[in-house]
Amino acid sequence: MDCVLEGNAVKAFGKAIHSLSRIGDELCLDPMNKGLALRSVNSAHSAYACFLFSPMFFTKYCLGPDQGSEKVQCKLLMKSILPLFRCLASIGRNVEQCQIQVNTPNDRVKIQFFCRHGITKTHNLCYQDSEALQAVFASHLCPNVLKAPARLLGDMVMHFPVYQEEITLSITPLRVSLRNYFEGANDHMNIMYTEMSLHPDEFDYFLIGVESDITFCLKELRGLLSFAESHCLPVSIHFGAAGKPVCFSVDDMILEATVVLSTLVNSESRGPSQLAETAPRCADVVSESPGEADCRTAVPAAMEMIASSQGSPITHLPALLLLPTCTEPPHYQEEAHTTPASTLCSLLFRALSSETGEGLPVLVCCSEEEESEEEDVMRSPTL
Amino acid sequence: MKFRGKIMDVACLNHFTRVITTISKLTKMCVLRLTPDNLFFVLSGKVANGGVSMWCELSQENFFDEFQMEGVSPEDNEICLEVTPENLSRALKTVQNAKAVKLKLTKKHCPCLTIAAELPTLSSVSRIVTHDVPVDVIPRRLWHEFKEPSMPDFDVSIYLPPLKTMKNVVDRMKNLSNFLVMEANLNGEMNLKIDTDLVSVTTHFKDLGNPPWGDEASQDRGPSQIRDPDAMAQTRVDIRKLQQFLMGQQVNPSKAMCNIVHERVVHLILLHEDVSLQYFIPAVA
Repeated sequence: MDCVLEGNAVKAFGKAIHSLSRIGDELCLDPMNKGLALRSVNSAHSAYACFLFSPMFFTKYCLGPDQGSEKVQCKLLMKSILPLFRCLASIGRNVEQCQIQVNTPNDRVKIQFFCRHGITKTHNLCYQDSEALQAVFASHLCPNVLKAPARLLGDMVMHFPVYQEEITLSITPLRVSLRNYFEGANDHMNIMYTEMSLHPDEFDYFLIGVESDITFCLKELRGLLSFAESHCLPVSIHFGAAGKPVCFSVDDMILEATVVLSTLVNSESRGPSQLAETAPRCADVVSESPGEADCRTAVPAAMEMIASSQGSPITHLPALLLLPTCTEPPHYQEEAHTTPASTLCSLLFRALSSETGEGLPVLVCCSEEEESEEEDVMRSPTL
Repeated sequence: MKFRGKIMDVACLNHFTRVITTISKLTKMCVLRLTPDNLFFVLSGKVANGGVSMWCELSQENFFDEFQMEGVSPEDNEICLEVTPENLSRALKTVQNAKAVKLKLTKKHCPCLTIAAELPTLSSVSRIVTHDVPVDVIPRRLWHEFKEPSMPDFDVSIYLPPLKTMKNVVDRMKNLSNFLVMEANLNGEMNLKIDTDLVSVTTHFKDLGNPPWGDEASQDRGPSQIRDPDAMAQTRVDIRKLQQFLMGQQVNPSKAMCNIVHERVVHLILLHEDVSLQYFIPAVA
């Protein structure tokens, strides 16, 4: 792949990398026919982000002959690529053009900055081949959709301290509220609870299908919010009941960015939540909560739930990650104390190959665009 | 016990926030005393904070448009709360553009000072932000620890040089020594000195002026004890405490002065129009 970026596009590209660095330690470069995708996933597989730059974003965008068909995924360490784009202000001042080339024979990604005064900086980064990593998320199936104007979400999260890990978003027909979330009975003296509520009129689009409270990691989202604010783009939020992932996305004509975060199954925001020490199997979870009539229970024994990214232990993941859907029972708050597994349901990285079949329930379903592409599941790192 | 206050003026909110931010830089935890007319932020001098104590007095009507309180009982019409000023500061800093900010004492999971702000929005309905800052109620039997400190029987009282200049000097001196000697006389001269095995550095300030009450105090002592105007009163203090005081200052005071009790304590007083801040740094051996 060979592409060239000019002027402000270099800054936007750098900003995208900054946002992705908030998610994971590795960056996947995925040159496709429809554009260059930059993806990252966190180690617990509970957050995924993808920035897709269409060919129009680039001054020149060529895929090599062996690309497009055979997915060449370049996995780079965030530590090696982030420093190149660290200081966006100086990139804006000095860099006139940036060229990115992926040379398959020698496993290198070559990034060249053509700067003022005839200076050229060339960086050769080693990459690893990796299988495609993609979370597929059916936004159109989400019952709740919000579209917030560019600065709104930034203004909302500004009220929370920078170290705030998780927040809870609640939606009712009358308002949308955000509050901070702490787990466990911590030292009360130091915890300041913050809550804010917004009227539906503040959103460009407000659709509520089901009243819900979702708790997700704020830190991982901040990168996308700052990207959206710098480009004055509205942010769309697609979500459902607690336990299902939430998707934040921005798009404009030439780029699309998506962040998918998992949400806590038991999202009692002020009570202590018990993160299970070991990830239980879904079948066990279901049998202990008799009220969960909706939970689709046809899950093979190989499934395991993956604990949250917030420091809980992560169990070994099998090669195929298929996650159970535990939809919330109607009175989850009363039953919280009986459900031992208040764990974070992770995202699905699903093999779309035909052997897995359609009978297996998945946390996130195929979205239409992805159906045409066959990708293998990325092998998850064991910790 | 009840407390409700409302600030509607943006300048008052700003000033109030800056006062609280200054306090948050001086100490991690302090006591907030509420009376019908005033708010006091008090830090009592305990060994745990290196003997430093602080007294900050605000007149409530200069900040609040509405202020209602009911103390513990009609005879003790006061509320005493232990609070982390940094939480208050953080909560207030994010709502600087609010139409109105209400402070109330509430009971949520524990007693809290709730800051509720109404923020302007483009739509007809305002945005409401609430911050619940946890507080600890101080029982009456401990109230005596948080009384207004009496003016010490000082030897010299002098106006301070510009705080920024003092801060720059003290910052540099901190790299060389842990202790600093502050000395001043009734002739408007002040010296900041450090003395180590390797080096000694003194910064001299002249023509600072002495507050008028300095004269009254020495007159009270009688003619035999009129102090020699050139005689320096000095105290050796922990330089970090002085630096912490100087670092936190957000607002330029109308008057800044210092009382020195020879070899006992340095008493710093900052006066603004509606806020007064006193800070005591004890001497170290």
